[in-house]
Amino acid sequence: MSTPQEFFHQRLSNGVELAIERLPGRRTVACDIRMLTGLVDEPDELLGLAHITEQTISKGTAEHSGQALSDAFDAMGIQHASWVGRESFGFRYLCLPEYVGPAFDLHAEMLRLPSFPDESCQVAVALAGQELTALEDEPDELARRELARQAYGSRLGRHALGNARTLRSITRDHVSEFWRTHFGAARLQVVLAGPLEPSRVVDQLERSFAGFGNPPDDGRLPRPIEFSPVRTHRHKELEQEQIHMCWPGVPVQSDEFAVERVLLAILSEGMSSRLFVEVREKLGLVYWVGAWHEHPRSGGMIFVGASTTPQRCDETFGVLLREVDRLAEDITEDELRRAKRGLIARTETHGDITRAHAAELASDLFYFGRPRPMAAKIAQIEAVTADDVRGYLSRHPRDRLSVVTLGPRELKAAG
Amino acid sequence: MTFIDQVLPSGLRVVIEPMDAVASAAAGFLVRTGARDEVPEQAGVSHFLEHMCFKGTPKRSWHDITIGFDDLGSTYNAFTSKERTFYFGWVRRGDLAAQIELLADMMRSTLPPDEFATEKNVILEEIAMSRDQIEHHVYDLIHERAFDGHPLGWPVLGDEKTVARLTRDEMHAYFSQRYHPANMVLVVAGNVDPREVLDFAERLCDGWPASAPRPQRGLPGRFAPGTAMLHLERFKQHSVCWCYPGPALIDERDSEAADALAAILGGSNSRFFWNIVQQGIAPVASAWRVDYSDCGLMVLFGFCEPEHAPALSVALQREAERVTREGVTDEELGRVKNRRRTSLVVEAESPYHRLTQLADDVDVFGRPRTVAERMEAVESLTRERLAEYLERWPITRDGLMVSVGPRRWPEA
Repeated sequence: MSTPQEFFHQRLSNGVELAIERLPGRRTVACDIRMLTGLVDEPDELLGLAHITEQTISKGTAEHSGQALSDAFDAMGIQHASWVGRESFGFRYLCLPEYVGPAFDLHAEMLRLPSFPDESCQVAVALAGQELTALEDEPDELARRELARQAYGSRLGRHALGNARTLRSITRDHVSEFWRTHFGAARLQVVLAGPLEPSRVVDQLERSFAGFGNPPDDGRLPRPIEFSPVRTHRHKELEQEQIHMCWPGVPVQSDEFAVERVLLAILSEGMSSRLFVEVREKLGLVYWVGAWHEHPRSGGMIFVGASTTPQRCDETFGVLLREVDRLAEDITEDELRRAKRGLIARTETHGDITRAHAAELASDLFYFGRPRPMAAKIAQIEAVTADDVRGYLSRHPRDRLSVVTLGPRELKAAG
Repeated sequence: MTFIDQVLPSGLRVVIEPMDAVASAAAGFLVRTGARDEVPEQAGVSHFLEHMCFKGTPKRSWHDITIGFDDLGSTYNAFTSKERTFYFGWVRRGDLAAQIELLADMMRSTLPPDEFATEKNVILEEIAMSRDQIEHHVYDLIHERAFDGHPLGWPVLGDEKTVARLTRDEMHAYFSQRYHPANMVLVVAGNVDPREVLDFAERLCDGWPASAPRPQRGLPGRFAPGTAMLHLERFKQHSVCWCYPGPALIDERDSEAADALAAILGGSNSRFFWNIVQQGIAPVASAWRVDYSDCGLMVLFGFCEPEHAPALSVALQREAERVTREGVTDEELGRVKNRRRTSLVVEAESPYHRLTQLADDVDVFGRPRTVAERMEAVESLTRERLAEYLERWPITRDGLMVSVGPRRWPEA
């Protein structure tokens, strides 16, 4: 398949996969660097190891201390951040065009030559333990963590912070070993958006990552989802009950993905969406209600969540289910048109932001292994019909539901 | 052409920043009223009113309003703070007129009586949700104590009692006094034709009723140092804050220095990050500037496990003393400037971000500020300026210590 004109896409000789979206006239450059390893690669007894690796990889290299690295980024005003997810580590930065090269040099140094100072590893473990404690004060995040286990199973459903027992076992040697085993050029996807000349970037990346690592070539393989259609409740003294549920959807790569996006927009995008109208505007049951989807490489999961005071939780749960089920019965042409128009318009307005282009391209590389033109994505959305939505719902019914409630009261309602 | 700043015959001020390099545009109505403009028995009315403005107009039902936004594919919302209420939408450039028309219509809300009770339930749920977040308790206690007896000390959401007893008629009276052209500004940023926007806004807002000016805001009383403790058994982490008087937003010179100091102490790659977080004392340690038009605070704070609370408190004070004694370095100041340079360029490519900044500037300074002007203000900072600032706004003595969480600390 040929690469659309606005993009550059190439697998370099050192194994790095590079994609660039040329945006002439922009005054910033956004970069997404993705290493194809994540929580799924942690040993069972060392959960939290990927997070500790992510936290400490910037705390020193063979050439710079952690603070000196941070100073070097700041000397160029580079906005940078890192994260770790189920199947990838991400390093993203945003800078003025003249600093793209030096910013790459710093990232290459960090990724290739981390020293993982023992003291930094110990501190990262201690802080992760404290963050685990802090998580108990975030009901929404806590409910999401519980539901992820039920949604994805013991491997894909891991939380970045692991648990207190496994965190305590992690040492500097484990961190170093994890990096040595799973980091390397062959697992690296690099995406840039901005006023760039690809040939210069290619030269630099070829040089920077030559001979970097030799991880097994399984970083691009999908890991299976192990969905559990169960309902669990955790008692916790809260003002509100958290109600979260999910059921399997389709992978990003599926022909039905555009249909799922439209469906979710009808359900939850904007104040005229069904959940907002029925649960909040008509009944005043909640302040927050929403639906969203997540996508490990191997599949998709649709989530619905709300928080409400305990005496209203049964009614809220019932209305949430009713609204999901009702979609198959009475979707209107008006809401279909509105959902599609909203998705397309927001894509276009957010296109003014360079950072949004890099994020979109990084997602294309991760799921499809190639850039996909925006026009094609928009055409897919435009082509969705009410019959497509009904067909999707009949092929993917929410007959297997996984539910987590967190709060002072367990649900009575059947679902 | 940098800005268009014009007052229409109706008294409505319109501020526009044309941005030729973008494809979208954003518009918002700034209403210069917020929690500090309320009477105590109506605490929360500004925020509740913001919700009600989405509920109906002479031309539209609540459903029409929501469909109006979503038909445009708008990125939209509204928020209420202590000093202002802001309604906005960000759309493709061709949809700007429709977006402004919808927002303008909402500014003439009928506050439909039959929606009032349902929306009250939504607000009560929002209050309940905020009670499950320790940060809200910390925020509220800081305000309650630092602005004791002053409306700035009351929560933006109000509380269960004030919201429950508020009537639609009381809200309507408040609405009539505050949502009039002289107390509002239409702000627009993006790929726009200013002449079109002005003509359109003039037609839309013609005939909007005038009203008496918003009552004068009073200054809070003298800041009272001391200790405030809130024991909340059900949370697992503890928050420790040291609060000191700080400059008002209108004090442009000291505000710039305060922002730089907050970044040097508590931003990314800051003193707190390396000397507190990376020492394993607390996962969160930062500096936060509480800034209002005529007063402010500097808050040094962190969240930690309860047993670390005393160590966190000591560490925050130690860093405050060190920066006061030794000053900041040229490198630290340089980092602040470099980061700001990038963030301002980023802001300049987003109509939405320019819109919110314009609303801030117009509200506080009475005029829009260019990106270049704001960069110049940062560039002018020196070590000496920060030293002078710390003399004027000390962070080592007469502070208010706020402790919130499961530990009864400090002991009486």
